[in-house]
Amino acid sequence: MPNGSVKFLRVMGRPSEDGSSNFEFVGAVTDITDRKRAEEELHQKEVSLHEAQTELAHVRWLTTMGELAASIAHEVNQPLAAVVNNGSACLRWLAAQNLEEARQSAALVVAEGHRAGEIIRRIRTLAKKTPPQKDWLDLNETIDEVIAMASSEVQQNRVSLQTELADDLPLILGDRIQLQQVILNLLINAVEAMAGAGESPRELGVSSRKASELPTREPNSLQIGELERETLERKNLAEVEWTHVLVAVRDSGPGLDVKNVDPLFKAFHTTKPKGLGMGLAISRSIITAHGGRLWATPNTPRGAIFQFALPIHEERMS
Amino acid sequence: MTETEAVVFIVDDDAPMRQSLKNLLRSIGLRAELFASAQEFLQSKRPDLPGCLVLDVRLPGLSGLDLQRRTAEAGIDIPIIFITGYGDIPMSVRAMKAGAVEFLTKPFRDQDLLDAIQQALERDRKARDQRAAIELLRSRFESLTPREREVMVRVVAGLLNKQIGGELGTSETTVKIHRHQVMEKMGAGSLAELVRMADRLGLPVPKS
Repeated sequence: MPNGSVKFLRVMGRPSEDGSSNFEFVGAVTDITDRKRAEEELHQKEVSLHEAQTELAHVRWLTTMGELAASIAHEVNQPLAAVVNNGSACLRWLAAQNLEEARQSAALVVAEGHRAGEIIRRIRTLAKKTPPQKDWLDLNETIDEVIAMASSEVQQNRVSLQTELADDLPLILGDRIQLQQVILNLLINAVEAMAGAGESPRELGVSSRKASELPTREPNSLQIGELERETLERKNLAEVEWTHVLVAVRDSGPGLDVKNVDPLFKAFHTTKPKGLGMGLAISRSIITAHGGRLWATPNTPRGAIFQFALPIHEERMS
Repeated sequence: MTETEAVVFIVDDDAPMRQSLKNLLRSIGLRAELFASAQEFLQSKRPDLPGCLVLDVRLPGLSGLDLQRRTAEAGIDIPIIFITGYGDIPMSVRAMKAGAVEFLTKPFRDQDLLDAIQQALERDRKARDQRAAIELLRSRFESLTPREREVMVRVVAGLLNKQIGGELGTSETTVKIHRHQVMEKMGAGSLAELVRMADRLGLPVPKS
């Protein structure tokens, strides 16, 4: 345009013949500048919305890291404060020439210093994914230990807990503390899932057994029980080669969205207002580091089953 | 300072932390009692001594701030020093507003804690003395006969013996005898002192 502005035009036309040799185009020219401008504005808005979302995600990440840092700081502060207290007490006992008390205080300083170091070491293990400290262990024992840890949580939320632990479980090679973390995480998740589920019965089941085969890919549609029964029909029981130990935690909570299982295991994914969203991600990485698998399936009639399988190592089997 | 006659209650869910605080207090001759949770503290039978509470903010179950509210609601009047693993300004403002003596972030300087404890114990001793003094006045007031109380109420309200006699329908001499009894039984040396006692007992006294 003469004033330097730009106009957008839309031109449509088609040839027509009027019978004579004249050939003409009939069409229309539309000024679509306004529409074009509106579209651009919309696009601009979408871009800024996307930017806002990205920024929000970043803020959320920072907040989460802040929370994580706060809880680590709290963990480390505890022994640190105890070191300072015992150290101060030690100086006062020395000033009072009470050597025995001073000696005991100094011993406490050393012990608390080690405790702080141990916490740092655990955090670093978590962060650096160093190989776990593996020992032969009876998963049933580990389950029992975790149930003892979680018992107050279970009772407070009026959850009825049933265990079904196979008594012929082979020992597996694993890091006791890490596997405790995984089972505890699954138990607490189950309890919390049910705590939000109104007044329907809150049933928590923990089971362990040997398994001979695992669902390969898409486990969501596969019930591992069925698969195995098939396998067993084909083989004689004595010939079955047990390859895994399977631990399952069942709840009667609101259950899972079958199509939406995978994000559950992503870091910082959480459905809980206070959660860090690290639990399942860490749990899965621990199980993977043990050469096993952790997955989720829907429970019947409702709720979810989170289960993991750990390999049985041959050298111990015979 | 009568340090042995005081007790510091420590509520922290971390056992080594509790022990270290007890160790520190013992090193300056203070008695400490340890609790792992707010509930444990509330359920305990505590010695009737001047005391204060050293309270961790983050506790499983009832938090430290919850416990502060509970003690206030239950009429347990005990000064509180908060200790926390991470500094949180809104939280400390809330705690201080609700009457906390001090809010310390772990790890703290031992002297800061010990100063706060001395201050808290002093506050509790004063509060206890005051409660005891009022208790004494109340028992003295209760030892008065109904007629003596009627006279006392009017004396401290500023009425003359003659006016009191008129109101109660007795002679001025009888009022004088009652008045003497009141001063004696209340242990008041002067009218001004009696008025102060009446004020502390919550009797209506004319505002000067």
